Order: sequence, then C-alpha cells, then structure tokens
Amino acid sequence: MRRACFPILLLLMSILTPVYAQDPTDDQVKANFLLNFSKFIDWPSDAFATPDAPFVLGILGIDPFGKYIDDLVSKEEIANRTIVVRRYNNLQDVLECQILYINQPWKTEEVLSVLKGKSILSVSDDPGFAKAGGIIQFYNDSSAVKLEINGLAAKEAKMSISSKLLRIAKIAETDTAR
Amino acid sequence: MTRKSSIQQKLMKVIMLTSGIVLFMTCLAFFVYEYITARQLLKRQVMTLGEIVAANSSAALAFDSHPDAAEILNALAAESNIKAAALYDNDGNLFAKYPAEISPFFLPKHPGRLGYYYNDSHLEGFHEVKQGNTQMGSLFLRSDLRVIYQRFILYGVIASLFIIISFIFAWFISKRLQKTISMPILELAETATVVSEEKNYSVRARNRSNDEVGVLTKAFNHMLTRIEIQNAEITELNQNLEMKVKERTQQLELAFDALKQQTAFTERILDSSVDIIAVFDTELRFVTMNRLGEETYNLTRDQLIGRYLEEVFPQTRQSGMIEDLSRALNGEFVRHVDYISGVTKRHYENFYIPLEDKDGKVYRILTIAHDISDIMTANEKLQTVNTELEKSNGELEQFAYVASHDLQEPLRKIQTFSELGERNINNEEVLRKYLVKINSSAQRMTDLIKAVLNYSRLSKADTEFLEVDLNSVLHSTKVDLELLIQEKNAVINYGTLPAIYGIPLQLHQLFFNLITNSLKFNENTPVVDIATRVVDGNDVDDETMIVKGRKYLLITLADNGIGFDQKFSEKVFSIFQRLHSDKSIQGTGIGLAICKKIVENHQGIISVKSELRKGTTFSIYLPLLHLRTD
Repeated sequence: MRRACFPILLLLMSILTPVYAQDPTDDQVKANFLLNFSKFIDWPSDAFATPDAPFVLGILGIDPFGKYIDDLVSKEEIANRTIVVRRYNNLQDVLECQILYINQPWKTEEVLSVLKGKSILSVSDDPGFAKAGGIIQFYNDSSAVKLEINGLAAKEAKMSISSKLLRIAKIAETDTAR
Repeated sequence: MTRKSSIQQKLMKVIMLTSGIVLFMTCLAFFVYEYITARQLLKRQVMTLGEIVAANSSAALAFDSHPDAAEILNALAAESNIKAAALYDNDGNLFAKYPAEISPFFLPKHPGRLGYYYNDSHLEGFHEVKQGNTQMGSLFLRSDLRVIYQRFILYGVIASLFIIISFIFAWFISKRLQKTISMPILELAETATVVSEEKNYSVRARNRSNDEVGVLTKAFNHMLTRIEIQNAEITELNQNLEMKVKERTQQLELAFDALKQQTAFTERILDSSVDIIAVFDTELRFVTMNRLGEETYNLTRDQLIGRYLEEVFPQTRQSGMIEDLSRALNGEFVRHVDYISGVTKRHYENFYIPLEDKDGKVYRILTIAHDISDIMTANEKLQTVNTELEKSNGELEQFAYVASHDLQEPLRKIQTFSELGERNINNEEVLRKYLVKINSSAQRMTDLIKAVLNYSRLSKADTEFLEVDLNSVLHSTKVDLELLIQEKNAVINYGTLPAIYGIPLQLHQLFFNLITNSLKFNENTPVVDIATRVVDGNDVDDETMIVKGRKYLLITLADNGIGFDQKFSEKVFSIFQRLHSDKSIQGTGIGLAICKKIVENHQGIISVKSELRKGTTFSIYLPLLHLRTD
C-alpha cells in the first residue's frame, strides 16, 4: 500500500498544484524577492514624479523572469501605486525605476555610477555587487537564494531598509562601510 | 460563660456560616473573574506575541529565509508557556517550526482559522504575517495553559489561606461580639431557670440593653413583680378561704351530724314500723326496704337496693302490685284493700304513695304493706261466729217464741186450774183433781224448760271431739231405753258400727232421741235397723254442709213406725214441731231439733224419708274427718 501511495501522491500533487508545477526556480524566487523588496524598503517621496506614478520595477539586461514577474506584480500594488515591470536596454532610461535589476551584459560599475545618488534600489546577481556599492546582491547558499545588502549604499540612495530585511541578509562590508 | 449555651452556639454558627458563605462566594467570584481574566490575558499575551513574531517574520517569509524564521521563532523560548510555533508560507506549507525538534506531526498541516482559540489543553491559533498589506504567510502559536493553572493554584492557596485566617478571625471576633447578644439572653434564661426551679419570685433579671432583649427582660421582671403581688394576694385569699372552709366544714359537720341523727331517727322509725315499708324509683327498682321487710322476705336491703321489683319478686306480676305501682307513678294515691302477697301468701292492705321531687315530678313510690292477715282471719272467724250467732239468734228467737208459746199452754193450765181451785177451794176432790192437773202442767213446764236448756246447751260448739265407739253408744242407749224396749217388745238391729270422732254425750243423745222416737211413734212392735256406709261428699245432694271433697259416714236408722207425710220432712226438725197433735204420744217436740243440732255440731247433715203408716228412715251424714281410720 505504502509503495503505491507515493506515486499517487505525486500525481495528486501535480494535479492539485496548478500554478507551480514544480518547486519555484531561482528566478522565480528572485522575482518574488524583487517584489517583496518594495515592502521592506521606503523610497523618499521625491523618488516619484507624480503621486500616481507607478512603481517601476526595471530590468536592465537579460530578463530571466519573463512573464512570471509581470503576473506577479500585476496582483499587487505598493502604497497605492500600481507596479509595472519595465525592461531597459538604455542606461539612461533606468532613472525612472524604483527597483532596478541589473543583469548581463551590463557592467556593475557602469550602472552604479549612473545610479549614484538616485533613489533606485539596485539589485544584481553579480558577485561583489554589494561590495561595489550595489544595494542588494543575490547569492546562492546551499541552493537557497540569499541576500547581501550594502546598507551604506542604501543610505546614499536615500532609501531606508527595514531592519527586518537587514536582519535576514548578509551585510556587505565595503571600504567605506561603517 | 464557660459553658457553651445553645444561643451562643447558634449565634456563632450563624456568624461563621454567614462569613464562610460570604468569603466563599467572594473567593468564588474572584476565581471566576480570575479565570476569565487569565484566559483573556493569556490570549492577549499570545496575540501580542504573535503580533510581534509575525511582524518580525515577514521578511524571513518574504525572502524565504528559513534559518532566520527559525531564529525568530526560537525567540519564543523566552515565553515558557509557548509550546509550539510554526510559520507557514503563502501556500500554506510549513516554513519554520519551534521548537526545532518538534515533529511536524504535532503541528497543524496548514494554517487554519485566524485568531486564537482555547481547546482542552492549549491555547492556539493563527496569525497573518503581513508586510504592509501583503500577506507573507501565517504564524501558528500554541500556548499551554499551565500559566493559568499555576495562577489558579496560586490563587487557590492564597484564597484558602485567606479563608482560614478570616475564619479564625471571624471566630474570635464573633465569639466576642455574640456575647453582646447572647449574654443578656443567657442571663435572662438563667434568671428564669432560677425562678422556675426555686419558685423564687423575688429575683429579677438584670437589664443590660435597650433592644428587644431588654424589652423582654423588662417584661419578665414586670411579670415577676406581678406574680409576687398576685401570689401575695392569692396567699391571703387562700388563708381567708381556708378559714372559711374550716368554718364551713364545721358547719357542715354539724349539719351532717344532725342529718345523720335525723336519718338514723327516720330509719329507726321505719324499722320500728309494724308494716313493711319499701320505696321504689320510677323504674320500679328498690330504693330502700325497712327491717320488717328484710325479715319477712329474708333479704337484706343491700341485696335489694337497685334491683328491679319484678326481678326479685316475679310473683308481683300476677298479684297486681305492678299495676298499683304504675298507677302511683302517675301521681295517684293507690290503696289496695286486700292484697294477697304472692310471696308470703298473707293478706295486706297496701298503700302506694307517690313522692314528688322539688320540681313536682313523681320520683319515688312509698309503699306500705299493712298485714291484715290476722284481721282477715279474725274477720273470717267473726263472720263465721256472726253467722252462727245469727243462726243461733234466729233459732233462739224461734225457739223463744215457740218455747214461750208452748210454755204458755201449761202455764195457762196452771193459772186456769189455780183459779178453778181457788173457786172450788172447799171441794177437796175437785181441788185435788185440779192440783194434779196443775202439778202435771208444772211438770210439763219443767220438762219443757229442761229440754229447752238441753237444746241451748247444744249450741255451745266448743266441746271436745273424742274418739267415740258407736257400738258402745248404741249399747248404752239400749240400756237407757230398757224399760221402753221391754214394754214395746222392740228390736234394735245394728251391725258392727265403726268408731268416729265426735262429742260423746251429743252422739249419745242423738241416738237416744232417734230411737226413742222410733219406739214412741209406733203402734206395733218397733223394729229399728241401723246401718253404716262410707260415702263420698260429691255423691251427697246437699249444698249447705257437705264439703264435696270429703268422705262421710252415712248412718241410716229405719223404723216401722207410723211415719208422716214426706212434705213435712224438713219441718220435723224444727223446735216444738209436733206433727201429731195426738196428745197420746208424749213428747217435748224438741227431740229431732236436738238431733239436727247435734249433727250440725258434727258438721254433718240429717235428713228423713217417711211414709204414713209405713215407717221412717233417718239418714245421717257425719264427716269422715272425724273418723279414725283403722
């Protein structure tokens, strides 16, 4: 009986879990994280052009998320703003975002210098991103996506990160870190 | 008060019970309050905790950080009553658990109803983990109820201690305080006991307060005062009464003695009475009987009193006494002139006198029985004697008349011849003839007078009856009439005659007279036959003398004389009745009268049958009572 149960259970699970056919991929996790960042971080009011300007989640470089992230943000809003996902190929266009996910092939230093002083949450997978001044860096630790946050960079970007978030993340040590 | 009285005990019980109940109820209220509050508190605490933990865990859930989530949950270790906690992601899957070692088996599989709820052993529930408005997941907390129980135990202990101490306090305090109530009551009770046991009404209860007990005490004392006063009054009255009673008793004793004397006197009178005196009540029961009555009936008055007359003397039913008494009960004065007692068979003159009570109703009958038996007997005797006397008198009158008449004749003769003699005094022969005649008349008178005297002597009835042998009587009669028998060549036949009781002289005279007559009134040779026979009184045709039940001796004396007309058969026995005016046959004319008298003296009868020229038969019946039976 027991031996038969397991395959049946799998079968059931596959039928009963409509949205996620399997465990979420790292990308999906990251997408979720990107969205969730908005909840744990406060942007200054001047980060938005108008009060009803949307909350922009930008993707610079290769979009690993696809439709997934669009679906994700469509269900939510942040501080009464709708959330949109925009993909950029131009560095100059990114200044309207609140969150920017930087991916290949863009270079970290290049992007960060543009973003300097701007209230944009920079997120990347690039190792050393946080050290370089990026605010949040994704890294993998035993197949779990982990975060590394550069608090100073956040401060410079005039964003306050909730301690809750900081707590669960690794704090990056920068040269100018406190 | 070393002795605990029931009032004190009651008061103490009341106070203790009240205190106890109050304490208990207070504690109970507290308990209940505490219970409710504790639960609420715990719930709130858990909720707060949940709130905090949830808030803190949002990031861990949002960023999928299991270790952080676990770390946050582990902070719950500080709260010892949290036994389990779990975080669930938005899919409802277990994300993190606390304590780390707990098996998922003991945790809910998926989040359930929001909020915390008590089950039997735990308080547990779910909390939304939100960041902003977005739900990141759910938090599960399970708290045990130990803290509540501990609290309760603590409270229990405190309460118990408190109750015990309060009780002890209450006991001591009430012990002191109840005295204010009980003391006056107890004092009053004690005073009352003293009063009732020692009958000492001079004690007074001490009044301690102005409350109702005080009122009671005052009233009590007041009552005692009243009792004392009344007692004194009563004692005085008593003494007065005793004196009066003594006086009255003396008076009564005197009256009683007088009454006793009176009663004894009355009784003596009754008992001295020569009449029987009895008193009956309305039911005809004996009330009393005097001594004579007792002696007569041989019953004491105690044996009679209360019993019914009919019961003691049933004979009174027939004798008429009951009727007389009934009439007397109606108020009538009854006199029963000749009452024959069924008991004594004597004659009484009975008087029934109704006695009335003070209301005028007849309630007793006084009965006096006056013995008249002797008088009756005397009366009867008198009657008999009277009758006899009358008869005697009658006879005597007749006798006197006839005698005088018959005597007159010779007397006339004497007178006549005396006169004639006087006239012819000188004629000696004529004188001698006349003197002879006078003498014979005188002689005749003498005979007559003798006969009369003889007859009269026969009237005396008190001559003794002796046994008389008739044979010897006849024999001596024959001897007396010897000459006449010889002269006439008479024959007298008689068999063996019996002996009877009678008067010898008279019987002698009887036969003498009869035989003389038979010889005299006979022109031929007289033959006299004498026979005897016993007959029954019933067979004798006579109403005057013959007693029907008696036996009689019939003596028949038959002759063959000149006889007489049967129509004179009765007249012959009258005095001086001579049927034969023939002076040739001498006789006083009294003979047969004498015979009749003699036979009547013997209570017999004599009758005669005769036929002219044929003869005469005399039949003499003499009662056999006078006959000795041999």
